[in-house]
Amino acid sequence: MSAKKNITSYGQVSSGVRRSSFLSTLKRDYKAWLLMLPSLILFAVFSWQPLISGVYLSFFKTKGYNAVRFVGLDNYKAVISDAAFTSALGNSFKYIFWSLLIGYLLPIIAAILINEMVHLKPFFRFSVYFPGMVPGIAAAMMWKIFFDPNPTGLLNVLRTHLGMNPSMWLANPKLTIPLIVVTMTWSGFGSTTILYLANLQGVNQELYEAAEIDGAGFFSRLKSITIPSISSLLYLFLVLQIIGVFQVMEQPLAMTEGGPNNASLSLMLQSYFYAFRYFRADRAMAVGTITFLILIGLTVLYFKVNKNSDTD
Amino acid sequence: MSRFQNKRSGIINSMELKKPQIQLVYWVIFVLLIVLALICILPPLWVIISSMKDLKEFLQVPPTIIPKSFHPEKLMDTWEMLSFGKYYLNTFILAIGNVIFNIVLNGLMGYVLSRLKPKGSNVVFTLMLWTMMLPNAVAMVPVFKNIIDVPLLHINLTDSYVPMWLMAGANAFNVMVFKSFFDGIPKDLIEAARLDGCSDLGIFFRIIIPLSVPVIMTMLILTVDGAWKDFFWPYLTIRDQNRFTVMVKIFSMANKTVDLQMISLTFAIIPPVVLFLIFQKYIMQGFTLSGIKG
Repeated sequence: MSAKKNITSYGQVSSGVRRSSFLSTLKRDYKAWLLMLPSLILFAVFSWQPLISGVYLSFFKTKGYNAVRFVGLDNYKAVISDAAFTSALGNSFKYIFWSLLIGYLLPIIAAILINEMVHLKPFFRFSVYFPGMVPGIAAAMMWKIFFDPNPTGLLNVLRTHLGMNPSMWLANPKLTIPLIVVTMTWSGFGSTTILYLANLQGVNQELYEAAEIDGAGFFSRLKSITIPSISSLLYLFLVLQIIGVFQVMEQPLAMTEGGPNNASLSLMLQSYFYAFRYFRADRAMAVGTITFLILIGLTVLYFKVNKNSDTD
Repeated sequence: MSRFQNKRSGIINSMELKKPQIQLVYWVIFVLLIVLALICILPPLWVIISSMKDLKEFLQVPPTIIPKSFHPEKLMDTWEMLSFGKYYLNTFILAIGNVIFNIVLNGLMGYVLSRLKPKGSNVVFTLMLWTMMLPNAVAMVPVFKNIIDVPLLHINLTDSYVPMWLMAGANAFNVMVFKSFFDGIPKDLIEAARLDGCSDLGIFFRIIIPLSVPVIMTMLILTVDGAWKDFFWPYLTIRDQNRFTVMVKIFSMANKTVDLQMISLTFAIIPPVVLFLIFQKYIMQGFTLSGIKG
C-alpha cells in the first residue's frame, strides 16, 4: 500500500513527501553549513569584522587598540592637517602614474615581442619569470644595495665606468618613487607577461592572414587584432595594478622608510607608521578608511567607464 | 633560417620574414629581449656569486663588479654563525601549517559552494567575491588587534605561526580556485558515491580530493612558495628572534655589513629558485588557474 502511494507521489508531490524532502534538505543543509563553519569564522575574524571595526574605530579615540570615547571626525581632522598626509596622498598618485607608465606597459610590450620570437622563446619566458622567484622583500633589499648612493655602490660604479657622475638614486626625492616602481616592476611583471603570452597564443592566426590580405601593416594588425584579443586582461590588470599600487607599503618600508623627507611615503605606510611607530591606532584607521574610500571610488569609476565602453 | 618558415604565432608571418628589412626588425627585437632577460636574471645571480667574495674584496675601492675571489665555504661559515638552519626550520613549520589550513579549509569551502550548495550559500559566494575585491587598507590594525587578543577567546597569538596559518585558511581567492576546479568534476561520480551511502565529508575526502590532485599539488607548491616569501605578518607578529622566519631575519640584517646582507639574501633566494626549477610545470599551471579566474 505504502509502495503504491510512493509511486503515485512520484509525479505529483504529496504533502508528506514535500515535508520529508524539506526535512532532508534541512538536514543536508545544516551539515553543509557545519562544513563551512570553520572557514566562515576565520573569514569573519580576519576579513569582515576587521573591515567594519576599522571604519567604526576611526571615529573613536583609542587607547592601545581599544575604543575609549567617540570623537566624531577628530581623527580625520588631525590626520588631514598633518603635512605628511598631504605628501602621502600626492605620492600615492605618483606611484600610480609611474606604475602605469612602467609596470603596466612593460608586460604588454614584453608579451607581444616574445610572442614574435622563433628563437629562444622558452628562455625568454623563463627569464621574465625568474625575478618572480626572488621574494619581494629580498628583491627590495637587493635593489637597495644596488642603489647605494655612495660612489662605491654597484650602479654608481657602473655609471663611473660609463663616464657619468654618481647618482643619489633613492636619496634623490625626484627619483625615489620611480626607482621603487622599477623595483616592484622587476619583481612582478613576469607573471603578468606570462598570462598575456598565454592569451596571445590563443589568437587565431587566420585573422592575421586575412588582415594581411586586406593590406593591414604591422601596427594596424596590432591595433585591430592583437590588442582586442587581450582587452579583457588589459582592463583587469589596469584595475588590479591601480588597487595594488595604491596600497604599496612593503617596498618603501624596506627601501626608504618613506624618505627622503616623506618623498616616498605612501598612504598605507603612513597608516602603518601611525599604528606601529606612533601608536595612534585611531589615526591609522582614519588613514586606512580614507584610502579605502578612494579605492572604492576608483573601482566604481572603473566599472562605470568599462560599462560605457562595452555599450559602444 | 628554416625556423622563420615555421613561425606559427604572432603578428609578423613567415612570408614577411623573407624580406631582409623585416628580418632586421626581428633581430633588433631579439637583442632587446636578450637585454631584458639579462636585467631579469643577472641581479640575483650577481648577489649569489658576489656573496662568495672574500671580505678584502668587499672592502676594496673601487669595488670589483666581476668578483675575483670565490669562497663557497664562506657561505657555510655564515650559515653556522647566523644559525640559518633555525630560520629555515621555522619557515618550514610556517609553510606546513599554511598548506594544511589552506587546502583543508579553503578546499572544503570550495566543495560546499560548488557541490552541496545549501540554501543561502549564494550569499557566501557573493561575500567571497567581495572579499577578493575589497582593498584591505582599513583592516591592518583590526586584524592585528584580533591577533593580540582573539575575539571571545582572549588569547594572544603573537610569537607563534598560528595567525599566519589561520589567515591561510581564509583565502577567498583560493576558495574560488577550488570551487571552479570542483565545478568540473562529473556529477555522476558524486551521485554514485552518495547512493553507496557515502557521507558529504566522505565524498570530499574519497572522491573530490583524489580527483583534484593536480590542483592540490599546484596549490601546495604555491602555498609553500608564498609562506617562504611572506613578510608583513610574520614581521609584525613575531618578536622572538628564535622564531624569526627567513624573510624577517634578512630584513633584520638591513643594518649589518653588505657582505652579511648579500649572504643572507643568497640564503633567501636559493630555495624558491630550486622549488621553481623542480616544479615549474605546477607553478605555471597556477597561472592558468588564476587565468581561469581572471
